[in-house]
Amino acid sequence: MSAPSKRQTVLVYLLLAVVLIVFLTPIYLIASSSVKPSPIMFQKPPAFLFTPTLEHYESLFGMRPFAKFMLNSLVVSFGSTAFSLTFGTLAAYAISRIRHKRMNDVAFWILSMRMFPPIAVVVPYYIIFKTVGLLDTPLALIIVYSTANIPLTVWLMKGFFDEVPMALEEAAAVDGYGLFETFWRITLPLAAPGLAVSAVFCFVFSWNEFLFALMLTGSEAQTVTVAVMSFWSSDAVQWGRIMAGSFIILIPGVIFVLTCQRWLVRGLTMGSVK
Amino acid sequence: MSAITLSNVTKRYGAVQVVHGVDLEIDKGEFVVLLGPSGCGKTTTLRMVAGLEDVTGGKLSIGGQVVNDVAPKDRGVAMVFQNYALYPHMTVRQNMEFALRPLKLGADEVERRINETAEILGLSELLARKPAQLSGGQRQRVAMGRAMVRTPDVFLFDEPLSNLDAKLRTQVRWEIGKLHQRLGTTVLYVTHDQVEAMTLADKIVIMRDGYVEQVGTPEEVYSNPKTSFVATFIGSPSMNMIDARITDGRIEADGFSHPVPTRFAGRVTEGQDVTIGIRPISIELAHADDERALPATVEVTEFLGNEALLDLRVGTHELVAEIPAEQRVPSGTKTHIRLNFDLAHFFDAGTGRSLNAE
Repeated sequence: MSAPSKRQTVLVYLLLAVVLIVFLTPIYLIASSSVKPSPIMFQKPPAFLFTPTLEHYESLFGMRPFAKFMLNSLVVSFGSTAFSLTFGTLAAYAISRIRHKRMNDVAFWILSMRMFPPIAVVVPYYIIFKTVGLLDTPLALIIVYSTANIPLTVWLMKGFFDEVPMALEEAAAVDGYGLFETFWRITLPLAAPGLAVSAVFCFVFSWNEFLFALMLTGSEAQTVTVAVMSFWSSDAVQWGRIMAGSFIILIPGVIFVLTCQRWLVRGLTMGSVK
Repeated sequence: MSAITLSNVTKRYGAVQVVHGVDLEIDKGEFVVLLGPSGCGKTTTLRMVAGLEDVTGGKLSIGGQVVNDVAPKDRGVAMVFQNYALYPHMTVRQNMEFALRPLKLGADEVERRINETAEILGLSELLARKPAQLSGGQRQRVAMGRAMVRTPDVFLFDEPLSNLDAKLRTQVRWEIGKLHQRLGTTVLYVTHDQVEAMTLADKIVIMRDGYVEQVGTPEEVYSNPKTSFVATFIGSPSMNMIDARITDGRIEADGFSHPVPTRFAGRVTEGQDVTIGIRPISIELAHADDERALPATVEVTEFLGNEALLDLRVGTHELVAEIPAEQRVPSGTKTHIRLNFDLAHFFDAGTGRSLNAE
């Protein structure tokens, strides 16, 4: 391929700039509004230069147990991610390795769980959790999110396990290892990039989820996405707090993705798996 | 006591039977090669010994113990895989350590064995490298090292040289032979390469379509092949096979006739269809006035250095002759040849069984 001409280069950078503006503008607005004094919040044209204030953050943590909602979100997201990775990975390994003519049907059946429209099952879930006394608990959300995350993990990990040569497992078997040890020491480390990708998807989905969190939690197990929404009442919209809350919501996701990304890169550079 | 015994071992995948009643005795310290074309069941047989495939029928024993239902890890075998199967996320040292861990040895002993093995195989400089940073030949040696450190009762090799280039193959083949002399471990080795089999084996097992065709020393399978398949499979270039019929005490083939050699008298019957096997080296150029000379056309001459191969057309037969290089004649020459019937093999054309004396 020949080197791009100057015009092409300019075009590419222009396109990149547009994409960046589209994606970064809302984040800029959230970040700047969260430290903007209330009186100038809606000033036109918007104030770009102002003395930042922490008043919204103070009121966010002062008036409502926002830290608790934050903790709920973390518990639910990490809980569902851990649960989904554990069971999804084991299921994916079984589907990848067991030769059976109906195995593809099993895999598709698992995927079909993911296709179900969430709104259709909200009410049944509500009734079930109310009956077993799990309503307004993090466990209820962990279970519900895992029903969406496990199919995703199964399909992602199946692809990665399929890539690990059987000969490596056979070598481990002859070397004196049983099934589980072989899986743990050989197959899983080689599928680590898949684990990182799955973890990112599971975490982000659980962290962002709104509908189930709104319907299945109350004051105890409420997550941050729902908490931020509660600043939007019929009397007033507390934009300052919404922005401050939204900005805080961004942080764990970013940290988590960056952490996993390091893993992902390490996994990819390991090489030599043909 | 035999190191490995297979009694009527069979393997079946659904309706397809790939190994038919294999009987084999492998003595302690013996180097046995399973040889055959692809799809002959040799690798499946090896994998059954390793425990990577279930045995459908028959009895498989290692060290006197029936192991049909014993897991691979409890069989005391070590295996070198065709693609080496090195653990890519571990260094060379870790690959070897991993193989030793189940033996629960002391740290000193682990260290000693790794260093000793690395020394023998010339891997000492490479211990900190990952498989991706090694050449094909080095990976091959690591795979052997990983098998060796465990000092197993039995070594299994699954076409270990097939991924190496020709020069390296010769060198590693020599190293494997030397290693076997040094360690004296029982070896079961699978290959489709007859040169590997002939040079390495104490005993060759030739397989075809899931059946054992012949078991014998390299000398036996070469000099005394029991079937026409073994005769053509062993030896390079292949043995020439000529269809003929026994008529009036003579061998009658298209284009020539020859009295039945006395050593086959009584072994062949009148009117029997036979296949005559003559090695290329048993065909020589002859003078036209020799009474047994056959007219032949040299279609292609291949110069190999010390010797030359002549692709000959004799009547409707296509034969290959191997002659000293200085006697060679150019392609297209019309000449005469003589078949040395004293060194010929006779096979029944129907069954393919040898008619030569045992």
